[in-house]
Amino acid sequence: MSLKRRLTDRIFWVVCGVAFLLIAAPSISVLVSVFHQAVPALGWQLFSHRTNAKATGLQNAILGSLILLGGVLVVAGSVGVAAGIYLAEYATGRTEKLLRFFSEILAGMPSIVIGYIAYLTLVVQFHWGYSLLAAVIALSALVLPYIVKTTEVALRQVPTAIREAGAGLGMPRTATLTRMLLPTALPGIVSGLIVALAISTGELAPLLFTAGFTDTNPKLQLLHQQVPYLTNVIYTDISLPGSRAHATAAAAGLLSLLLLVILITAGRLVARRARRQTARMSL
Amino acid sequence: MPEPSTQVSYSRPVPEAGGAAQAAPEVVDAVFDIADLNFWYGANRALRDVSLRIGRQEITALIGPSGCGKTTFLRCLNRMNDLLPDTRIEGRLDFDGEPLYRPGVQAIEIRRRIGMVFQKPNPFPKSIYDNVAIAPKVNGMKVNLDDLVEESLSRAALWNEVKDKLKQSAFSLSGGQQQRLCIARTIAVKPEVILMDEPCSALDPLATIRIEELMTELKSDYTIVIVTHNMQQAARVSDRTAFFTVEDHPEGRSGVLVESGPTHKIFTAPSDQRTDDYITGRFG
Repeated sequence: MSLKRRLTDRIFWVVCGVAFLLIAAPSISVLVSVFHQAVPALGWQLFSHRTNAKATGLQNAILGSLILLGGVLVVAGSVGVAAGIYLAEYATGRTEKLLRFFSEILAGMPSIVIGYIAYLTLVVQFHWGYSLLAAVIALSALVLPYIVKTTEVALRQVPTAIREAGAGLGMPRTATLTRMLLPTALPGIVSGLIVALAISTGELAPLLFTAGFTDTNPKLQLLHQQVPYLTNVIYTDISLPGSRAHATAAAAGLLSLLLLVILITAGRLVARRARRQTARMSL
Repeated sequence: MPEPSTQVSYSRPVPEAGGAAQAAPEVVDAVFDIADLNFWYGANRALRDVSLRIGRQEITALIGPSGCGKTTFLRCLNRMNDLLPDTRIEGRLDFDGEPLYRPGVQAIEIRRRIGMVFQKPNPFPKSIYDNVAIAPKVNGMKVNLDDLVEESLSRAALWNEVKDKLKQSAFSLSGGQQQRLCIARTIAVKPEVILMDEPCSALDPLATIRIEELMTELKSDYTIVIVTHNMQQAARVSDRTAFFTVEDHPEGRSGVLVESGPTHKIFTAPSDQRTDDYITGRFG
């Protein structure tokens, strides 16, 4: 190899390395510093005790966050997948344009605006109070466009040949959809749902206006019952005086990050399966 | 060394004595009776005044250069074009004496009676068994599915190759096997007609020969209409041939039917100069 080529090669690798560090360093430093600050609070009491002034427990917040995620999965999942199917398979003309338009507006709306609107309508106007249902609806509105988009894309990626094969055999359109298209698109749809959950895990703004907080464990009651959740602990405890509060906030942050990593890894695995399946079909 | 060519230039493909020579000059028992058929994609008139009778339990080949509307015509026959937005059809298209496009006729019902095999093998992403069984199951046919699967796969000359791996994915099969699976899947719905849109264009010569043999066997039970780019194929398998071409008109290019008749006649003594130019390889 000539000197010039070796030099170019070396420079290229250095540039790549620097770029990698620039991307990786912030996340690594956040992880390290959060972990470092959380150390005093780490222990089983996080799971066995609830949040209150004396202990560094997070049991109620962990349960609340999981319940919220479950609610988002049900509400945003069903509405979003249904809308995605409608857009990909049935919508035409004006309805399609209208639905797409509103979906885009929702996607661009700041989460704090969504929270505020949910507060004005659901919490105040409907007299729901800070409640599970208001929180789930606000979070769902936030991730809905994402689920709609991934569902639509996953269905559109199913080869036309499969639709034609179903039609050519005289199969009703719904049968082709449920038996052929949806199973084929399922990995794509699922990975979209998982990413939506990952986004929900880190959200605070819409919940501040809708969920409230309690030091007791959450009840599965839809209205008039406040819901504790992890990101609220981060937000509140970080601004409290005292190292114990700060350690608790860091521990809540660490648990949120852990949940995020689990969700993202799961999403990756499902997406990889989807790619393999599509590759096989377009032989 | 001369380059190998798939199309013999300036010579006529010779129809085989078996099928083609016996076809009567006129269609006696027509499954499809088509007169002055016109078809539009938006403002583009893709078919212009096509009139053709398609005989029962015969193989009819539709040939012609690219863009001549032969695939569009084929897809009119089982209302596949209904799936496309902004299309329009005019003229007579009778199937078994009934207008195919009469209001109230269900396209889904029509496609169960008139099956279709596509250009590229397109098995469902399911097992070999499910590929054959799914449509009869969904369509509510009251039959023993195991028997139907075996019967259909046997009829498509695939049973012996797949009987021990029915639960395996259809994608584990070769391209030729996949296309025979698609034919089996079509047969399983018990259609009266099978439409084939260049069924061998994605296959190698050996797989092509197998599909052609299969078509000849299926002829005793089904009416077959096949679109093909391969004139030797049309000459080998079909009883009748319809030659389409593209014509320039003031409002755009349209596909027209130049002539149709017994394959033997079309390939040896066509009555139109354009047909002769095409089959001898001077054009197209």
